[in-house]
Amino acid sequence: MTACVTEKTIANRPQDGADPKILVFACRWCSGIGADEAGRQRLPMPAGFRCVPVECAAGVDPDVILKAFSAGAEGVAVLGCHLDGCRYNRANHAAAKRMALLTTLLETVGIGADRLLTSFGTAHEGHQFAALMRRFSQRIAALSALTCRVTKTDPVLGGWGDDA
Amino acid sequence: MTLDTVRGMARDILEHQTADGVLGLAGDEDGVAPRVFDKADALAALVLEPKWVLAKIALSVLVQTPESYRLAVVCRGCDERALVELGKRHRLDPGRLHMIGVACSAAQAQRCLCRRPWPSRVDAGEKAAGADLSRSDLVRQYLGGERAVRLAKWQEVFSRCIKCYGCRNACPVCHCESCKLEDRVWTAPGEIAPDMLTFHLVRAMHVADACVACGACQEACPVGIPLMLLQLPLRNALQRSYQYDAGTEAERLSPLLANYIDAPAQEIALPDWTDSIEETSWDLIS
Repeated sequence: MTACVTEKTIANRPQDGADPKILVFACRWCSGIGADEAGRQRLPMPAGFRCVPVECAAGVDPDVILKAFSAGAEGVAVLGCHLDGCRYNRANHAAAKRMALLTTLLETVGIGADRLLTSFGTAHEGHQFAALMRRFSQRIAALSALTCRVTKTDPVLGGWGDDA
Repeated sequence: MTLDTVRGMARDILEHQTADGVLGLAGDEDGVAPRVFDKADALAALVLEPKWVLAKIALSVLVQTPESYRLAVVCRGCDERALVELGKRHRLDPGRLHMIGVACSAAQAQRCLCRRPWPSRVDAGEKAAGADLSRSDLVRQYLGGERAVRLAKWQEVFSRCIKCYGCRNACPVCHCESCKLEDRVWTAPGEIAPDMLTFHLVRAMHVADACVACGACQEACPVGIPLMLLQLPLRNALQRSYQYDAGTEAERLSPLLANYIDAPAQEIALPDWTDSIEETSWDLIS
């Protein structure tokens, strides 16, 4: 059996000057608006991030974040409203608690807690969003590349086709 | 001595019909296996060693028997905590259970890396001190050290996984109807070893606030992945922030389900903004 982990992303890392891949989950009531505004104002932002608008930060399952890392994201940001300003009965408190636990898990296995940015109420203005993205991108770029597994397409010898 | 006490209690329970059956370990010349004793005469076969997590078996007995069936379980601390967690999640009716609490020895606690080797009511055995995790080499090996070292260590150990699903199947508190680990969105079929992030960490995250540190996952693992050590920092974080220890309080739901007002986090006043980009120091072991 071959080991499932190789240092793939080191080779795949964009050339010098390119920004690390970051996936941003933005609550549509605040940081989603901030993201729109930052785009409209043409504020300078790193080009490596992709923004997924969500209804509420609490809708982001920790599993989705793990999947994002698995699919090659080098950083994930979950941006929500002020802890006092959630539209959905303080659902963002639950999100904050879950994300805190997830950072513990990421730190445990050595992926690093700072690859997951959780931030509440810090990005609802365009310039705030742009500044946060710049800081986060710099932070991720300063980290060593995340080693990531190679997806094998060949069938595994002796394995069952439908075991999962 | 401890064994005699447990046998006596089980005999009492069956004779007075406090419960219809006693779930425990039965030992004979062929080895040891869990068994439901329903006759007092058969109790001579009841043994306590080795440690065997009975909570999941108790659950399947309760599911297969009618509502009126009451079951007594020979419980170690971890069994009891797992049954409490299942009760909280409405997977079983705690009223149908009768627990015979057995405290583990200090040696057993050290083997299990258990910090709470006793049930809430100790009927047999002496309360022994829990294991001191900071002195364990294994813990330091996996949770100490630099990030890159830890990553290499965990990747190496997860690359041994043969995807037998033993960890999931053995876990007493793992209880979803449909499992993400069988869904091709999360776990590619036929891929061995599975991805660390979408297989092992998803599993760890799912049981994070229910894990009672019984070690069933680790014992079930045929390739010796120390899965309890993956769960340990999560349990520590819950303990530190919310004084929450899964399974010890039957009335208290997981703090992850509540907001910061109803279940406040220790040493953190409600912040009007939080920003995890700030540096924090990490203590994973204690």
